[in-house]
Amino acid sequence: MLSHPVIKFLRRFYSGNMAAILGTLIVSTVIIMSAFASVIAENDPKKRVARGHQPPSAELLLGSTRSGKDVFSQVLHGGQVSLMVAFGAALITITIAICVGVSAGYFGGRVDEFLMSLTNIILVFPQLPLLIILAAFLGQVGPVVIALIIGLSSWAWGARVIRSQTLAVRNKEFILAAEVMGESKWRIILFEILPNLISIVVGMAMGTCIYALMAEAGLGFLGLGDSTIVTWGTMLFWAQSNSAFIVGAWWDMVVPGTAIAIFGGGLALLNMSVDQISNPKLKTGSYIKTWRRMKTEVEARRAQS
Amino acid sequence: MSFVLRRFAFYFVAIMVAITFNFIMPRMMPGDPVDALFASAQGRMSLETLAAYKEMLGFVDGPLHEQYFIYLKSIFTWDLGPSIMLYPLPVSDLLAVKVPWTVGLAGMSTFISVFIGLLIGTYASYHRAGFVDRFMPGFWAFVGAMPQPVTALYIFFIFALTWKVFPLSYGANPDIDPSYSWEYLSSILYHAVLPISSMILGGIGAWIFNMRNAMINVLGEDYITMAKAKGLSNGRIMSHYAARNALLPVVTAVSMQIGFIMAGAIFIETVYNYPGVGLLLFKALGARDYPTMQACFLLIVVFVLVANFIADLLNLWLDPRLRK
Amino acid sequence: MTGVREPLLSISDLCVDYITDDGNARAVNKVNLDIYPGETVGLAGESGCGKSTLAFAIANLHNAPALITGGKINFQGRDILTLSPEELRQFRWSKASMVFQSAMNSLNPVITIGDQLVDVVLAHETISVTEAEKRAIAMLDMVGIHASRIKSYPHQLSGGMRQRVVIAIALILRPKLIIMDEPTTALDVVVERDIMDQLYDLKEQLGFAILFISHDLGLMGQITDRIGIMYAGQMVELGETEGIIANPQHPYTQGLLSSFPTIHGPKERLEGIPGNPLNLLDVPAGCYFQDRCSQCDTICIDVMPNIEVLQVPDERQVACHKVSQGDAL
Repeated sequence: MLSHPVIKFLRRFYSGNMAAILGTLIVSTVIIMSAFASVIAENDPKKRVARGHQPPSAELLLGSTRSGKDVFSQVLHGGQVSLMVAFGAALITITIAICVGVSAGYFGGRVDEFLMSLTNIILVFPQLPLLIILAAFLGQVGPVVIALIIGLSSWAWGARVIRSQTLAVRNKEFILAAEVMGESKWRIILFEILPNLISIVVGMAMGTCIYALMAEAGLGFLGLGDSTIVTWGTMLFWAQSNSAFIVGAWWDMVVPGTAIAIFGGGLALLNMSVDQISNPKLKTGSYIKTWRRMKTEVEARRAQS
Repeated sequence: MSFVLRRFAFYFVAIMVAITFNFIMPRMMPGDPVDALFASAQGRMSLETLAAYKEMLGFVDGPLHEQYFIYLKSIFTWDLGPSIMLYPLPVSDLLAVKVPWTVGLAGMSTFISVFIGLLIGTYASYHRAGFVDRFMPGFWAFVGAMPQPVTALYIFFIFALTWKVFPLSYGANPDIDPSYSWEYLSSILYHAVLPISSMILGGIGAWIFNMRNAMINVLGEDYITMAKAKGLSNGRIMSHYAARNALLPVVTAVSMQIGFIMAGAIFIETVYNYPGVGLLLFKALGARDYPTMQACFLLIVVFVLVANFIADLLNLWLDPRLRK
Repeated sequence: MTGVREPLLSISDLCVDYITDDGNARAVNKVNLDIYPGETVGLAGESGCGKSTLAFAIANLHNAPALITGGKINFQGRDILTLSPEELRQFRWSKASMVFQSAMNSLNPVITIGDQLVDVVLAHETISVTEAEKRAIAMLDMVGIHASRIKSYPHQLSGGMRQRVVIAIALILRPKLIIMDEPTTALDVVVERDIMDQLYDLKEQLGFAILFISHDLGLMGQITDRIGIMYAGQMVELGETEGIIANPQHPYTQGLLSSFPTIHGPKERLEGIPGNPLNLLDVPAGCYFQDRCSQCDTICIDVMPNIEVLQVPDERQVACHKVSQGDAL
């Protein structure tokens, strides 16, 4: 069992890779805690349980908001929504990016030209301002719509990357061989091209997750989300509206912000370690220390003789 | 030359898309958007102005494409309609004052970020497995994952509120009259420190990482080995061989980041009450001032496109392979 | 009888290791080689045998993870490995220059070829820029490139022209030794012939020595005075070219030569060399060639053969137990 290729791959990936280990730990902890929010935090995040702006204490681990709601409970329950939005948006983005990128790369010609012109135009637009305007026009939108608009506006970059990767794979001989043998185009795409894209897609997924998380936070902060729903973004909004920092209730603002930073940071660490697998030149192995030590030894010997 | 023309055509199309987007959005909202505008104006708008606004937007009777052309005409004559929240001030006047502040903020931050990123990134690429190389990426991963408004707020809290080292808000001391005097200019600088620092802090992790990778890639190239073998001085190698080549991906990276930078500006200006286009957008959001919102959006898009175009020209100048 | 010539370059017991997370791989293993002024020495062997590593070591160009862990490299009496950084910088190119495998990759894409010729002159001599430019133009003329090309960028030139430019850059300081690492591998045979002819003309004029590294034994057979054959980091045979081609002694050399078809003469069956290249992280105690050698004996498995001079008139050196034992092969 220990020699199963997947296990072997995981062992190779994690050994000595502090970033990967730390990242995975953080990400899984946050996900698990949010998933079990109702179990861990007994207070209803929407109910008033104490006086406004109480500092963290034994009863209220992370204090209370302006309207007396439990911040600890809010951050856990809010995490559920924020994470769902992030994952959902990432899923939408990747799906569109793969469809567009692979089609453009594989079919080439006019399909490629059309898709790429479209992609390039979308790419040059600043994404967040676009999101802001969309959300503003749509009114107080709930998390589902937020996930949707994030997903629909951020696929362009991924599509370009996937397209170039597809192009690189497409011209490899085994694809040409498959075509000559008469394999159907769909089978080729699914079984020959897609497996080669996995490492890129994984990296993209994580990057988009981080971006979506921040976008949700940003939109929430600006008051564009449904402020009656508890998410990390709306927590920020309420904290800002209630001038949390100015009145000294720093926990109101710090908690959601830090939650986002921790999860985003964990994902970023994971992302970096995946990056280094695909481009080993960027990785710094332990051999460098050995090399430096040996170099000094050799030079000392040479100076003496 | 054809390169320049092609890029220009591309950006022109992009602007048209943005304008068209602005045209379509109000029409997709439920109900008659102009009536909704009127309602949110809460009686501050007179009927004549309503009519004038309708005309500017193209909401006259007639087929859609006629409305579109009227709208286009207004945009290109820079008639962006009246603002709702500061009625009757026309949006274009409102914008004119705000633009320099945002350009200054975004420009300065980008410049400093790139500079610091280049320095630290080069250092990290040289000293592999050193302290910087090993811990910086991890550290910045977390700092960079913090949403921009939050980093801005932390800095605001520490430096402006608690330690009172820097001012809380505004672009310059409101008691001083705007002029080219040193008093006023230094006040601008003083007020700009925190906003610029917040912007830099939000994005610099990614910069350092990108610079480091770009430098590592360039330093691994054969022409660098040959330059060393030629016995050229380190200075010459770093400047003409390494940096000149590493600049190319840097310029590309900057142009891709411009959108992100503008978004950051929105948040930073909100936190610091900084009188730029971002703050205007925020206020317009709260006041449901759609004309202003749309104008801000259009302006931001134009910024980004212009910056991209400049980056393209820079690329042309730096990379002889594009000049075929 | 003329006096004993002093070698221009004398490599003794050179060892170069690659430090990896999986262990140290010795890419160059106690290699000895002398190059005399004006001669052309070839270095042949399959990919990964250490010939390029050896070449890079001569100008001390190695970066991590490669490390020169032993031996001396004496150039005109001074050990290059003990030079200070400034002395090393001055030594480079003015005494020994290099032509790398891919001209396109060794030229800086964003500055003109004129600049790349001029900057190396200015780095080593205190002359004016105009003077340096004149030298550059003269050098380009010598390699058959028109002066107007001095403002061109590398991507604007053809493959053959780029290679000439690289040769021009290598010669502009009139070094005593030029190391050429697979200089014509990327070119088609017609261009290759052109370039080699040009190179030989220049050699006649300027009198430099060449260390010619290639896997193309056929080409090397024509242009070199002596050849060294390397396998898994070791020099296994070294001697005059004609002698080696006509009468190879080491089993590996014999295998190499029999892998090359000849255009003329009767059709012979091509034989290759069975087996795979050695994994340098897992080397045997005895001869490195044992797994692939048809003459392998018990002594070969246990004891590493040293390179020894044979009792034949052409000063051949071979590292093989069977040959040293006097068995005619």
